[in-house]
Formats: sequence, C-alpha cells, structure tokens
Amino acid sequence: MTIRAAVLAVSIGLLLAASPVVAHHAFSAEFDSEKPVKLSGVVTKLDWTNPHAWIYVDVKDEAGKVANWGFELASPNGLMRNGWTRFSLKPGDEVTVEGSRAKNGSTVANAQNVILAKTGQRLFAGAQ
Amino acid sequence: MKRNVAVLVPGIIFAVLSSPLVAQWPRVPPPGVPKDAGGRVNLVAGAPRTPDGTPDLSGIWDVSPRREKPGEAPPGRPPLAIFADIGVNIVGGLPFQPWAAQLSKQRVANQRYDNPDALCFPQGPLQYHLDPQPRQIYQLPGRTLIIYESNYGRRTVYTDGRPLPTAGEPQPNWHGYSIGRWDGTTFVVESNNFRGVQGGHPADGWLDQMGSPFTDALHLTERFRRVNFGNMEIDITIDDPKAYTKPFTVRVEHVIVADGWEMVEFICHENQMFLKLTGRG
Repeated sequence: MTIRAAVLAVSIGLLLAASPVVAHHAFSAEFDSEKPVKLSGVVTKLDWTNPHAWIYVDVKDEAGKVANWGFELASPNGLMRNGWTRFSLKPGDEVTVEGSRAKNGSTVANAQNVILAKTGQRLFAGAQ
Repeated sequence: MKRNVAVLVPGIIFAVLSSPLVAQWPRVPPPGVPKDAGGRVNLVAGAPRTPDGTPDLSGIWDVSPRREKPGEAPPGRPPLAIFADIGVNIVGGLPFQPWAAQLSKQRVANQRYDNPDALCFPQGPLQYHLDPQPRQIYQLPGRTLIIYESNYGRRTVYTDGRPLPTAGEPQPNWHGYSIGRWDGTTFVVESNNFRGVQGGHPADGWLDQMGSPFTDALHLTERFRRVNFGNMEIDITIDDPKAYTKPFTVRVEHVIVADGWEMVEFICHENQMFLKLTGRG
C-alpha cells in the first residue's frame, strides 16, 4: 500500500467511524444561521443532558464585562458514539466556539465548532 | 504530500480521536457476528435464521447514509426516503390532498414548532424509521418488538395470527396497532389505529420533518427484508385516502450495528430547551 493510499484508507475509516448525528430538532426554529458568532472564553459548566448537551462559557467583551453564554451541542448519545464523554471538557478550559446565535437574542447559540485553546483540538467533532 | 507529513496527518487525527476514549460505554460485540478472513464484520454474509426457519431480523439498526436523486431509483424499486423529507426523491412529490399540502406548508412556515421530534413526543412512523438514532428489533415467538432510541419509541408487532382490529377500536395511539406475517423471506407488517391529525395535539400526524400529515385513516404496510447480515431494506406504503390522493411507497435502508454499541437511554425531556428558546415555555 502506498503512503497516499494508506492516508486515504485511514481518512475514509475515520469518516465512517465518525458518523454524523443530525440535529435533534428544527434548527431554524431556535437559531439564526445568518447570525454567526465566534466567541472565546472560559468554560464554567458542561451539562451532559438530553436531548442536547450544553456548555456554558464566560465571555469577556471589549469593556471587560463578562457574560455567560450557553452553547447547544449534539445529543450525549451521538457525541459518545463519536468518542466524546462528559469529561472531554472541564470547567476552567479555555475555548473558542463558532456557531449560530439564538433567534431570541439571548446569550445562547448552537455550536458548530468548539476549539480547545491550549491544544487547538476540535472537540465534539463528528456529531454536529 | 511529503512522506513525513503523510504519516503525521493520520497520526494526529488518530490521536485526536483517541484522546477522549476514556470512561466510554463498554462495547461488547454481540455473539454470532460473521467475520471475514481479516477479522472484520462480514456485512454480506447470509442473514441469520430463527429456529423456525424464517430470517431473524433481530439486532440494532442504524439508518443508512446512502442518498440518491429524484428519479434515480431503478424501475420497480421505491425511491429512498430521508429523515428531512420522505418525498424528496419522489418525482412530482407526495400525492397530497389539497388540505394536507396546505397543512405541511403551514407547519414548515411555523418553524416546525409542533414537530413531535423537537417536542420529545412520539415521532411519526417514518420519523422513527429514519431518525439517526438507532432502533432495536427483538424477534420473539408470537410477537416482534421494535424499540426506537429516539423519543421513547416502542412498538409491538403481533405475529400470533390475530387480525388487525377495526379502525378506531381500540383507541388510536401514537404508535398504532401492528400485526406481522411472513411472505417468503419478507416480514410484512400492517398497522392501523394511529392517532393522526385527529389526535388532538398539534404534534399528531407528522410523517416527517416537513410535517407531511397522516390521519386516523392511515393503513401502513412495511415490508422488511434482511438481504444479508448487514443490510435491511424496508418498503413502506402509506395508504391514507384522507390525506393523499393515492397510496405511495418509499424505501428505507438500515445497516446493522455489530461493533458493540448498544441502545442508550434517551430521556428527551431531561433538559428540553426547545419551548424556552422558541418563547413558549
């Protein structure tokens, strides 16, 4: 097997292993894909709950005011089947979250990407 | 790609995916899984049989990721349904009665607020078949049970020879009333007594995420065929003259889960934020 074929085989295997989990509900009822957010801060809590897991992050604005944001993830079952657990993120971890803000204007968003600052690791991938 | 980079990339991906693999669900592969010479699950091995000689449909099943385009299904094969829209591959769309087309449009325009899937209510029969969460079939003497991980789904398919009850008796329920029989190697399930849109809740009577309605007149026929160890084909006929001008059939494909993953509880109401985030609770 050539190196390129080996890379391809591994990549395909990973794609198959990381089976996607479709969002549980009608995304558009709660979140606005036209209002993307990218926020960095410190994790305060991870709720490993159904029908969606949630992470809460203290985000400081330019004036130094801190707001606690809630980010909706996939279901714990879907996350778990893709290799993630309730220990994958801990309070105190610094993260950057990319997602779509809630339509109601609150400090809530649906998370598409959660990136751990210290390693650059993309958390909860494969189960969006 | 340079050789050292080529080696590094899969290594990093492996490390990233491997790192959270602690405190996982214990994975115990089920017994009797056929393996190929390389020790991998042989998905194309023959379908297992029960002692009475029928194919055994028992197992945990995921919906297949396979997709097609409208009109691509070969002659004689129903078009594939997908979770988002069961009629997406039917040329010309679903044969709605005018009121049913209007209701589907209204439900979508209303942000699908009343989608039973989002509300943690029992899903419609096609939602259960197509949900990305798995389902488990237990084929037992006299009855077959189908447990759906999503939204508390639980069906009993009676195979003891009893007839389908009269429509409206017993009281219609979310999962309907089902009987099953074997037609050669095909397990044929017929169901009626669904609540339908007359059930009294706006989450009643959703076939799919498009809110395609069904009524209490729905007669559902599902033809299950386990083509080999790893694959199931289910042809589903919706015969509901109140909602559709003619019966129509779609296909659902499932693949076996044989790597030790189990059904996991899904208590959907545990931290349900849907009502709050849509300003209703």
